[in-house]
Amino acid sequence: MCGAFGAESRDHMKKNATLLLLPALILSGGVFLAPFVWLVLSSLKVRAPGSLMLQDGLTLANYHRLLEDPFFARVMLDTVVLSGVTTLACLVIALPVSRFIVRRAGRAKGLLLALTLVPLVSGALLPALGLIHLLGPLGIFNGILKAFGLIGSSLRLLGTKTGVIVGLVQSFLPLMILPLVNAMSRLPRDVEDAAASLGAPPATVFRRVVLPLSVPGIVAGAVLVFCACLTSFVTPQILGQGKIATFGIIAYQQAALVLDWPFASTLAVAMLAVLAVCLLVTTGLQSLVTRGRRAA
Amino acid sequence: MRLNKLLGTVFAGATLASMPLGAHAQDFTGKTLVVGVWGGDIERLLRQNAAEPLEKETGAKVEFVLGGSGDRMARIYAEKNNPTMDVAFVNIYEAPQALQDGIVVAPDPDGDLYKAIWPGMNNGCYAMSINALGIAYNKKLMPQPPEWADMWKPEFKGKIALAPYPSTESDSILGIAARVAGKDEHDADAAFGKLAELTPVALTYTSLDEIFGMMDAEEVAMAPMISGFVIAALKDHPDLGFAFPKNPGPVVVRDMLCLVKNSPNPELAKKFAELAIGVKNQTDYAEQLFFGPTNKNVELPADISDKVVDKPEEVDSLVQLDWPYLMSQRSAWTLRWNKEILGQ
Amino acid sequence: MKQETLLSAIGAVWTILAYIFLLAPIAVLVFASFDNAAFFRFPPAAYSLHWYEAAWASAEYRSSVGVSSLVAVVAGLISVVFGSCAAFALSRYKIPGAGIITAVLMAPLVLPLIVWAISLLQIYSMVGISGTLLALVLAHAVVTMPLTTRIMISTFERLDPQIEAAAASLGAPPLTVARRVTLPLAMPGLVSSAALSLLISFNDVVVSSLIAGARWLTFPVRVYAQLRGEGIDPITLAIGALIIALVLVVVLLGEWAFKWSRQL
Repeated sequence: MCGAFGAESRDHMKKNATLLLLPALILSGGVFLAPFVWLVLSSLKVRAPGSLMLQDGLTLANYHRLLEDPFFARVMLDTVVLSGVTTLACLVIALPVSRFIVRRAGRAKGLLLALTLVPLVSGALLPALGLIHLLGPLGIFNGILKAFGLIGSSLRLLGTKTGVIVGLVQSFLPLMILPLVNAMSRLPRDVEDAAASLGAPPATVFRRVVLPLSVPGIVAGAVLVFCACLTSFVTPQILGQGKIATFGIIAYQQAALVLDWPFASTLAVAMLAVLAVCLLVTTGLQSLVTRGRRAA
Repeated sequence: MRLNKLLGTVFAGATLASMPLGAHAQDFTGKTLVVGVWGGDIERLLRQNAAEPLEKETGAKVEFVLGGSGDRMARIYAEKNNPTMDVAFVNIYEAPQALQDGIVVAPDPDGDLYKAIWPGMNNGCYAMSINALGIAYNKKLMPQPPEWADMWKPEFKGKIALAPYPSTESDSILGIAARVAGKDEHDADAAFGKLAELTPVALTYTSLDEIFGMMDAEEVAMAPMISGFVIAALKDHPDLGFAFPKNPGPVVVRDMLCLVKNSPNPELAKKFAELAIGVKNQTDYAEQLFFGPTNKNVELPADISDKVVDKPEEVDSLVQLDWPYLMSQRSAWTLRWNKEILGQ
Repeated sequence: MKQETLLSAIGAVWTILAYIFLLAPIAVLVFASFDNAAFFRFPPAAYSLHWYEAAWASAEYRSSVGVSSLVAVVAGLISVVFGSCAAFALSRYKIPGAGIITAVLMAPLVLPLIVWAISLLQIYSMVGISGTLLALVLAHAVVTMPLTTRIMISTFERLDPQIEAAAASLGAPPLTVARRVTLPLAMPGLVSSAALSLLISFNDVVVSSLIAGARWLTFPVRVYAQLRGEGIDPITLAIGALIIALVLVVVLLGEWAFKWSRQL
């Protein structure tokens, strides 16, 4: 494992930090950054007329095309919103689940964690096809609702945003549960017990003690789920039945079907730019909020 | 022959000292032929009818890279200076493009392989199999095999399914829609305008399981689909049928076999192509998968012949699309499809 | 105390519902794998072990599952070790440009992998390693490293550096501190990130479809290649069910033998 050192000279620390970062940076530099630079370059090229080969010379034509038609911007923003909603839904579902696993599951903890991994074992495709059978007009879900007399005719879930969100939550919930369990496991139990013994109601303990201490886990889970949603295309395609356009779907369409690789690269670069802006805005807001809190 | 052998020895000695002296020109021991193709039954038949006999005959190994034709196009274009794939199976719309871009070897008009295939079929690469875009339908909703025009009947609104765009299926149905409107695929407004009358579509499907499930549930009445695999799957779905419409006819589509330019094993690739397009493999394709043969010498029993496109006169009655033109419109049409057909 | 019991009951019900939701689509597939029909339907009409026998008999499927496992283990190992080291450096040391380094390490998460893989294919072809096992393993390691790095950053952020400092001040050499103090404390994060990267690599379709060479065809690539033309091969449902069963058995045996979940 990596070293762990407290009292050392600054030079020593610098050397350690470099040594620890080096393997990851070399791997990512060679296998990720090099193709990424290539990708950015090819977004500045266009295909020769009537050919799939790239023309010489750089141009902004792809970016013009992207900005010219509001369709692309709309799909990207829609996808950001869709991913945000999915992330929130995962968080709402996963918080009580993780807390239950950590504090009360007892001997079932191992089993529950193992079951959490199952959706990841089977990939995106097969569960999406399974969901089609459950959510379809003649599926079990509508059947149960009808049997209880809650609905008269089948709810339309396939081919809607709701259906896509249901599918995404099902696929990516484990990416939220695992980091959360990881974060909550190390919460000092005495802190909670102390708060409770001082008469704080459980909701307050949760809000004031458990939640703040789980923040690193929440952030990690939210990042993983959000990013997975942004680029996924199998689940939105199958559950959206082609009627819901997402960024992942149009990028796949351009790269694998239209074979317009430069334009697909442009879409990828544009999405990175959108995310960078989102990130800057949230960090800005965050620092504003913290400063405001401190002032108050 | 002697000179050949001598040259071979010198060459082998210069490059690979470990190679046995006097390696025979027909001995490919230690070589691996890489074939890019779709998975499933196609892979199974090619393994059985082309790969295994070739391995026996030459001592080489044959390995398959499985995936969609888009994956293969990306791979042979990316590796154009340094190819690892020898044979690539692609769709009819991709083959002429690959030839034009210098990625694949042009079919040799004087070769036996070329001559074994019906005239006019080898666009870009060698024609491997012939299929037709017809209509898959639910027999309970449609007692008679439908015509194209039936898809536009008001009682089926919202019950028509389509394949995603771009694909052979979706390009073809645009060509048909334009013809139903009295034009052809060169009139994009006619094609999209007519097809948009079918919206909202019931779904766009990515696999046969999805579409057949919806058809069995009577949520989908008709879908334009490609004959082969659909006809093969009908035995599991007694309520479904497949129709070859008459006015206009079905759209002819082809799978193509390409020999990659500058590939590591051109001779093995050619031998593989001869076996793949050979009578035995194409007969199995037709009898098991209902893919029509391109080889003139294939003779099919009558019950199979009815279900596949296997005669030149039959091909003449089918609708031929201008694939290079469709390919050139892909980018623009993708956008139009997303907006006008899917309402995204 | 009554309120506590009520809350705990609500927690239990909520958890059970969440797991039903999580597992129902997969249960559908497992049921369907015992169906004897040649296509995917639900509910099944007749039960048999036909597809399990076929799965066992298929050399192609066996070999692709082997390749997937090999790639997942090697790539997962690289990703966990490299990712944790980077995460430790990023969370413990003040590094100039830490923001940029983190962004680069996280970036594969937000790129549509198919677009990136097409570029990677061109680079691999230039270097001359396309189609090799190395090429595939490196690609998978890069795809999974953001996950391990992200989880390990959150793990190290929660560990109190004071504990390590205390151990060091008591005279423990750095390696002992790492092995006896840091490693056990970071265990939950290591287990989660190893599990995630193993599974994500095992299931990757997009990158492997473009990168995997003929000799190194993975299981999901084989499944997906068939699915596109003909629909699900029920053999893949049977293999999927077997893999799920295997994962559950391994996890539960591990639990029984090592009580690992108590570590979490």
